[in-house]
Amino acid sequence: MTHEIDLSQLPPPEPYDKARDEAQRARLLQAWAAPKGWRRISAVNNSHVGKWYLLTSFAFFTFAGLLALLIRAQLAVPENDLVSQSLFNQLFTLHGTAMMFLFAVPIFEAVAILILPEILGARDLPFPRLSAFGYWCFLIGGVFVCGSIFFGVAPDGGWFMYTPLSSDPAYSGLGTDIWLLGLSFIEVSSIAAAVELIVGVLKSRPPGMRLNLMPLYCWYVLVVAGMILFAFPPLIAGDLLLEMERAFGWAFFDPDRGGDPILWQHLFWIFGHPEVYIIFLPSIALIATMLPTFAGRPMVGHSWIVLSAVGVAFLSFGLWVHHMFTTGLPEISLSFFSAASEAVAVPTGIQIFCFIATMLVSKVRPSVPMLYAGGAMAIFVFGGLTGVMVALVPFDWQAHDSYFVVAHLHYTLIGGMLFPLFAGVTYWYPFVTEKRMSDRVGKWAFWLLFGGFNLAFLPMHWTGVMGMPRRVWTYDLSDGWAVLNMVSTVGAFIFATGFAVFAVNVLWPRRNHPRVARNIWGAGTMEWSGEVPGNPWGVRSIPYVHTRYPLWEQPDLLDQMDRGEWLLPDAEEGKREMIVTDILDARPLFVQRVGGPTFLTIGAGVSLGAVFILATFHLWAITLAFGAAFVAFTLWWLWTGTAQVPEAPEKYVGRGLTLPTYAQGNRAVGWWAVFITMTGDMTAFTGLVFSYFFYWTALPSFLPGAAKLPGVLPLLIGTLLMLAAWGMTVAARGVLAQGRRGVSMALLLGAVPVGALGLGAWCWAALAAGLDPTVTSFDAMVWILILWTGLHLSLNWVMHLYVAARIGAGICQPAYRADVINLTLFGHFVAVTVAVTFVLLALFPMLMGV
Amino acid sequence: MPKVTRYDAPRVIDSGSIWILVAAPTIWAVHFLLSYWVAAVYCAKSGSGWLGGLTDPRWIIVGLGGLSIAAIVWLGMIAVRRYGGVFVVLEEITDSSEQGRERFIGHVALLLCALSAVAIVFTVIPGLVFDRC
Repeated sequence: MTHEIDLSQLPPPEPYDKARDEAQRARLLQAWAAPKGWRRISAVNNSHVGKWYLLTSFAFFTFAGLLALLIRAQLAVPENDLVSQSLFNQLFTLHGTAMMFLFAVPIFEAVAILILPEILGARDLPFPRLSAFGYWCFLIGGVFVCGSIFFGVAPDGGWFMYTPLSSDPAYSGLGTDIWLLGLSFIEVSSIAAAVELIVGVLKSRPPGMRLNLMPLYCWYVLVVAGMILFAFPPLIAGDLLLEMERAFGWAFFDPDRGGDPILWQHLFWIFGHPEVYIIFLPSIALIATMLPTFAGRPMVGHSWIVLSAVGVAFLSFGLWVHHMFTTGLPEISLSFFSAASEAVAVPTGIQIFCFIATMLVSKVRPSVPMLYAGGAMAIFVFGGLTGVMVALVPFDWQAHDSYFVVAHLHYTLIGGMLFPLFAGVTYWYPFVTEKRMSDRVGKWAFWLLFGGFNLAFLPMHWTGVMGMPRRVWTYDLSDGWAVLNMVSTVGAFIFATGFAVFAVNVLWPRRNHPRVARNIWGAGTMEWSGEVPGNPWGVRSIPYVHTRYPLWEQPDLLDQMDRGEWLLPDAEEGKREMIVTDILDARPLFVQRVGGPTFLTIGAGVSLGAVFILATFHLWAITLAFGAAFVAFTLWWLWTGTAQVPEAPEKYVGRGLTLPTYAQGNRAVGWWAVFITMTGDMTAFTGLVFSYFFYWTALPSFLPGAAKLPGVLPLLIGTLLMLAAWGMTVAARGVLAQGRRGVSMALLLGAVPVGALGLGAWCWAALAAGLDPTVTSFDAMVWILILWTGLHLSLNWVMHLYVAARIGAGICQPAYRADVINLTLFGHFVAVTVAVTFVLLALFPMLMGV
Repeated sequence: MPKVTRYDAPRVIDSGSIWILVAAPTIWAVHFLLSYWVAAVYCAKSGSGWLGGLTDPRWIIVGLGGLSIAAIVWLGMIAVRRYGGVFVVLEEITDSSEQGRERFIGHVALLLCALSAVAIVFTVIPGLVFDRC
């Protein structure tokens, strides 16, 4: 039975009492303060983690930029031998890899973790420890990948690591393993951030912030985090296949053994093209957020921008083959992707026109952030138009792998991502530091960046059209590219100078500068509601928001918040708390307790990092030990920090509102986190299914004769056993709700051997048919599907033991059973994996008449 | 201690349904993948006789396109109903009410229907132009 909450009819606040206000502030401070000294690294507050994330991303950007300068120095003059050819290969590979994976994507997460909670008027995001874990993964993985160049073993196969160059260890050394495992590890942190941000936007909005009132930034974050869930997992699947081939000789990409190198290109670009928009949309979101401030009016065409973000998100998944126009696919296939590549310009254009319209109908205040935003749009539109050119198949055949493409991609990425980001840094600098950057230095930096950029990259269009291929180490004077290359190099160094000036402006110590005034730019969005000097708790009390630009349209809001007149003004129990609201209309649902400072996330991150790093060197025994440590840290973290039984079932949060202190099922944020994570997991599995059908389509004899097929009977028995185990999990959930704890535990523990027997039956089917993954792609495909299912079952077993222990310890109870509900949700996804795998291994070959 | 009123607001996506926001672009995606898949399988297998009975894949693509656009028109009609009728290009729907949220979703859904229909036409065109692989 739902009951409408009319938030506008809440009882009035209690009269202001200075003593109470101070006592509440003291308790809030105690709950939310970050540790001091060296223990600061255990902090999980979004303000800390966001800042670390941002600075680390910029550090990797600087590193990758220095590599680019070396590339430009090498290419400045013909027949140069400044760096060796081998080092040059490492330079451009690491430059692209670091810029994409260690800067462009993480910076989205960094900025979102830093500003999203405040834009939502929330104290923090629902999983602060997950953000911290993601950060440590990112830092360790990034240092590992970048550090490899100092040992001369950096990846050197290009940032998209094409097979068969990368799949044959004889051609590509340790660098490729570092690339594969290092990046898989960093993808973990991206998916962790995606989970955090989706749940944040959907469930942590301030009461009253309905979907139609949600700021554009939140729409973009939601869309981009959703894209990450569908874009990154296919690459994880591809990484798995490639690493299995490299480490154990499984036959996925080797044509001699029924593999196909083109499969890698598909899996890579199903990730790679959406990734371009994953980079671009959050940066354009920064412009969409700051533009109304300087225009002094709401954004024109709010719904149109939402349309544009959602539309781009979908269409961007239909573009991947435009990176593969020269691979010999049928022309009709190419033309579909060409058409979609043209179509995506429509929604992209709409948002740019909305920005221009907003500027036209208002008098824009000149400011340094707007200067960068203007430069961004000019450069991006140019890059977008060359994108429409290369989206045409015949033109692409001419320009493919030439410097024209290098010019195009840098125009889109630097215009669409870097300049908006610089605008954002300038705009939100006072929000983070309470100081202001120098305008004069900012303008200098802008013109150096803008001028240097165009000087460096505009000539590359001509260099490309004149025939210079990308990634060449050097060239001959007679090629006629010398002057243009020299101009590009000069431009690159000017651009780098501009960045150095910008960085000095950011990092300049401003201890003695006065603090800025509150809401220094006169913005309308909630992140500027923070008091100056700021406090670690985010907002003093969580307000009722009923407008799109609350600071403009809700007069007196700031004072009300400061006086603690809104919700959760106190932390009586000394716990970190936030309010979770519903997806559509942001009605308050319950009070969520979130984790405080901890070293557990660091322990988990370091152990997982060690797993990936040691696996690179094939040190399997220590790898396993660290894997066990990772599981132990994670379980400890979950046991002590999640789904805790509250001291009282509900609590008073102010303004006549009492909310539950515990939630389970699809009300709970944890349930959503499992659901979202597993959606990503399903996408990775879909990548494997795609690979299966790709082989079947591309290879005439992918399915072997009947004798080589795994037996249907053992496959069927195995499937039924695994599904029975799933049924036992579901039953355990039901009987716990009835209060029968012992039966519930017995069912959970019993499900483990039943599932194990089922998996054993599958393995036996494959062994009995004599399938050897190193012989043909079909054998390898069967084994990878069994391996995938087995990995998920193993994880499922650990979780079964964990939940059984929680029931035994009385933490998971009939009234508080979030653990077992979330476990069942995981089980549903595993059941789907099992059923689909059965179809692929048993039914499909039968259907095809084998 | 003030008088305590308990509210119960367990609302997830079921009651207001934002599915309509993703429905139209999903139809585009399905049509796109089917078109790609039909063409790829046809080009790879037509020689081997497995698809002996299959005529030109172009008509499958066009037919699928027609069906998809029909489905999108139907979605568009739902969107118009939610949105509430009169279409004003630069309308700002900022009312803080369930109806406001419903109208906003309807507005965005309608725009997405239009975009998805255009994108489907884009996909159909090559199907009409190419008669070979």
